[in-house]
Amino acid sequence: MTGPVERGPAVLGARGVTRRFPGVLALDRVDFEVLPGEVHALVGENGAGKSTLIKLLTGVYRPDGGGLEYLGAPVRFAGPLRAQRAGIATIYQEVNLLPLLSVARNLFLGREPRRFGLIDFARMHREAREALSGYGVHVDVRRPLRELSMGARQMVALARAVGSDARVVIMDEPTSSLEPREVETLFEVIGTLRERGIGVVYVSHRLDELYRICDRVTVLRDGRVVHTGAMAELERLRLISLMLGRDVADVAGEGVTTFSGEHTEVSSEPVLEAADLAARHRLHGVSLRIRPGEVVGLGGLLGSGRTETAQAIAGALPLDSGRVSVLGVPVRRRSTAAAIAAGIGMLTEDRKHEGIVPGSSVRENIALAALPRLSRFGLVSERRVDRVVRVFMERLRIKAVGPEQKVEELSGGNQQKVLLARWLALEPRVLLLDEPTRGIDVGAKAEVQRLVDELAAEGLGVLLISSDLEELVEGADRVLVLKDGAVVGELSGGEVTERALMAVIAGEPVTAAGERAGDGAPAVRGGEEVR
Amino acid sequence: MVRAVSGVRPRVDRATLLAWTRDYGVYVGVAVIVLFNIVFTPNFLSLENFRVQAVQVAPVLIVALGMALVIATGGIDLSVGAVMALSASAIALYLGYGPVVAVLVALVAGAAAGAVNGLLVAFAGIQAIIATLALMIGGRGLALVLVPRLQGIRNEDLRALGSGSFLAVPYVVWIAAVLVAVVVFLVRRTVFGRGLVAIGGNRRAAELSGLPVRRTLLLVYVLCGVLAAVAGVLTTARLQASDPNSVGVLIELSAITAVVVGGTPLTGGRVRIAGTIAGAVLMQLLVATLIKHDLPPSWTQMAQAAVIIGAVYLARDRRRT
Amino acid sequence: MNDTPEYAHPSPRSRPRLLTVAAACTLVLLATACARGEEPAGGGDGGGDTEGQAQVLDEAAAGDQTCAIDQYGGQGYDLSDVKVGFSQSEAESNPFRITETESIKAEAQERGVELITSNAQSDFSRQITDVQDLISQGAEVLIIAPLNSDGWKPVLDETRERGIPIITVDRAINGTACEDFVTFIGSDFAEQGRRAADKTIEALDGEGEVAILLGTAGNNVTTQRTEGFKERIGAEAPGIEIVFEQSGDFTREGGQSVTEQLVQSDPGIDAIYAQNDEMGIGAVTALEGAGKGPGDVAIVTVDGTRGAVEYIIDGWIHAVIESNPRFGPLAFEAAEAFGSGEEVGTNLIITDREYDASNAEAEVGDAY
Repeated sequence: MTGPVERGPAVLGARGVTRRFPGVLALDRVDFEVLPGEVHALVGENGAGKSTLIKLLTGVYRPDGGGLEYLGAPVRFAGPLRAQRAGIATIYQEVNLLPLLSVARNLFLGREPRRFGLIDFARMHREAREALSGYGVHVDVRRPLRELSMGARQMVALARAVGSDARVVIMDEPTSSLEPREVETLFEVIGTLRERGIGVVYVSHRLDELYRICDRVTVLRDGRVVHTGAMAELERLRLISLMLGRDVADVAGEGVTTFSGEHTEVSSEPVLEAADLAARHRLHGVSLRIRPGEVVGLGGLLGSGRTETAQAIAGALPLDSGRVSVLGVPVRRRSTAAAIAAGIGMLTEDRKHEGIVPGSSVRENIALAALPRLSRFGLVSERRVDRVVRVFMERLRIKAVGPEQKVEELSGGNQQKVLLARWLALEPRVLLLDEPTRGIDVGAKAEVQRLVDELAAEGLGVLLISSDLEELVEGADRVLVLKDGAVVGELSGGEVTERALMAVIAGEPVTAAGERAGDGAPAVRGGEEVR
Repeated sequence: MVRAVSGVRPRVDRATLLAWTRDYGVYVGVAVIVLFNIVFTPNFLSLENFRVQAVQVAPVLIVALGMALVIATGGIDLSVGAVMALSASAIALYLGYGPVVAVLVALVAGAAAGAVNGLLVAFAGIQAIIATLALMIGGRGLALVLVPRLQGIRNEDLRALGSGSFLAVPYVVWIAAVLVAVVVFLVRRTVFGRGLVAIGGNRRAAELSGLPVRRTLLLVYVLCGVLAAVAGVLTTARLQASDPNSVGVLIELSAITAVVVGGTPLTGGRVRIAGTIAGAVLMQLLVATLIKHDLPPSWTQMAQAAVIIGAVYLARDRRRT
Repeated sequence: MNDTPEYAHPSPRSRPRLLTVAAACTLVLLATACARGEEPAGGGDGGGDTEGQAQVLDEAAAGDQTCAIDQYGGQGYDLSDVKVGFSQSEAESNPFRITETESIKAEAQERGVELITSNAQSDFSRQITDVQDLISQGAEVLIIAPLNSDGWKPVLDETRERGIPIITVDRAINGTACEDFVTFIGSDFAEQGRRAADKTIEALDGEGEVAILLGTAGNNVTTQRTEGFKERIGAEAPGIEIVFEQSGDFTREGGQSVTEQLVQSDPGIDAIYAQNDEMGIGAVTALEGAGKGPGDVAIVTVDGTRGAVEYIIDGWIHAVIESNPRFGPLAFEAAEAFGSGEEVGTNLIITDREYDASNAEAEVGDAY
């Protein structure tokens, strides 16, 4: 691998850029550069600052401090259009094209070849065919774009964005909706871009892809660059530890969470059994079982399918296949109501958009899911609601002026407790907790963790999803690791250490126990061995 | 929530003042306009006057009740005026079977129209404003095809419904009062009512909480349609004629105005029935005052516009988080 | 940040779509399946031109100017050989428009003339395209009931080029007579206002308070009926005071609610001048509701619909000034004369009759 210096000056660079949002320092003096003809991986977990950096590079945001350099000179882009005209092309996960117009029109929109002032269709179609064949797309370019597969559309978007004069191409999770075959084509195209001396910024969570096509990598964490260097020289385990902010060397020490450790009153009969959950592009046959009193952790990087797994179990994600049963009784209808009736509660990861009803009171928010149980003939029993609300406000120590206070006025931690109360009011058998301690203060975090312990001790089955490795290690009795929507490893008992977890996430051979979870879970998908 | 005013500096901040005005401004408005009329309008403090105002506001109020529920879910129903026209035409078409059958058919027509809206919104996922716009245009068109010109109503029972009284209170007002009570009960005491507010507040959260979101939405639109049909029946009875061409024209705007002026935000998640009643009364008194003082009709429209702008200004941006 | 994807609705789409269609069908079925309205109260319907209903020209009011085909351009024709196009402005949902269209159709049938019609449903731009469509369908003579007086240039350019004669009825088109159009046939709305004033003065003996129920604001019918009324009251009856002018939008409901407000705050009102019959009938309903009896308040209205004339017999309405919508005979007569080369007056004002207690019972059959 050629070192960066020999490639000549950077085509696009950020020098010490800082960007603030109210209450957050999204980027803190970040240096970043793309060289001509390199594929540069940009990685980081949620909130690391990747999307902010991309928006700065493409002229959507302007830096509060520091500046950009383009083609060796300092620049300030007045807006995304200017950056685009200057030669910085961006491909997003969602394709921004016009589905009803023809493929060729989409490709040439705004710069159609003209003849006598009119669109020269013959030439446009010919050029479109030629351009697309270079991307492995062989279609009738006169047909509307919507008839194309997602992958082919992505290629059209790519062809359009790259055009003839792009110097830098930024790709944000370009493979998330592509079939494996289409991914191969994309990689070939990236190869030709590299040969043409174009700089590529490649954002993805799929480690295999990164190692396969990227020359260099920059790791962001909490708004700072924590590593820049050649991709091949960075071990997977090291990459994971950089992203997650856990040092490989000192993960062995005692944690600071309030989990008490083991809750092993493990009976043989699982309280929850999910088998072969599959949803296109998201889940590829996830199976898991949770016994009463057991806390099962779900680990993996962002986009690995953790949230989707929880949603699938809770009936909130349409599935192509899969079965869920509670205490051996299958949940027949795939709806949230059916899952709730079966005793499954899910605390969502996105508290604001999927959890609280902001304008309603604490009382209404707690009672929401349990309303059918707290009513008779459709009439709400205020007495029973009051009792439930009082019990849980006390037990969870929810700090509010009173039950009538609007939930949007509470702190994040108290909002989270309100949502926990909403689920506990249902007296569930299984509780799915998706990032239960994210974005809440330390005190509330400790209380939530202690509560998880207590609930498990009371015999509840708990699925704990967390990006915080420490929380997983100390909170869970057993941890399943997901990757690309499939279970790739399971750790239990003494094997559950941060180091082992990171190793499984990184896809490296696990020394202690590498067995697969449950029946029907497929083996690691192809492409693993390509290095 | 009660704000503890602490000692030395009782500074009420701007946001609190705005919020207070949003919630209670409508009552202040009603009080002001009533006082004005007591002083300046001849014969204002008479039983007859209250009767006139109450009878005139009743149809708008009934429509506004349904509208308040729809708006609480974060939707809107533009078709209420057309549903009134459908209801009026159903009366004309079926009066031959007697008033009871005719009224029932009118109500079923309202429910069916509401069901069309509800299915489009809840199941087909079409935006409420678009889905109900279709029926707003098509519904009145259908009503006009059915009853192309105004038809006088001679049925004594139906005419009595529009002009008769019980205990010196017109039937029309009794019916409006009963419907208010029913809607208040629905909103306060039933799972349905709690659910519709939650759907407006955060639909995804309501879905994840296992609420029957789509069924609730469907029912809300059906209810709104039935209430509009009731208003159509009452208007027809009062007019002693079925006039699909003009009944309920622009009533959707009056109803939306009453709801918004009453402090229910257009974004949903909240419903204020008392405020809606006050909102409808405020707009009615505004029009009555301007008519009684013989001010040009354009003034009426401008005054209404001013009140709406004020209400929207107060309601704006309440979801700052 | 956001790795939660959007979710499709899990249940199949076909069921709700089916339900929607079913609900929509219910609506239509309900309304039509086995409808049975009230029995008619008696008396025939208003269609058909009898002697007493036909429009009569007011020779004095018509101007001197005439138009012949050689001045206008175009070629002579025999009316029975050509296609006539009729463009109606508003939906046929009020008696005036219904009768107007019926009259044109009946006359065409009587004369054996081929007629093509259109209705712009109160949408002016639609009326322009309507007329253009009529021309492209081969109409060689046009009868137009214009929604607006202005804005006809696109049509006039075309008709002038092709020499197609235009006869406008009930409202005028602004333009040069015998160049842009052949003739205007209609009522004099200001005169209707003046005659309504005469009737009001007669009812009040020149003394009292009168309220005006205006039509739709900004409409020239409203403006002229108001101007004529005020002009005559001012000139002839200084003892009559116009205390109130509010719009009832030409609808019965509007007339009713405005009158309710009015009698409540001013119970001593002596007369109401309603600018159309519908508002007048609404006023009757309101007065009845307020405990007034027939004749307590003198009501004078304009139009001449059967409903209003019947209220004269009941004693509620004092007088109705007619605005005759039966344009068929005069319009076709003018078209025929013009085609055969005769001179046609460019401003044909019809004499409108009036109904009051003296003739209502005898002539109610003429009302439409």
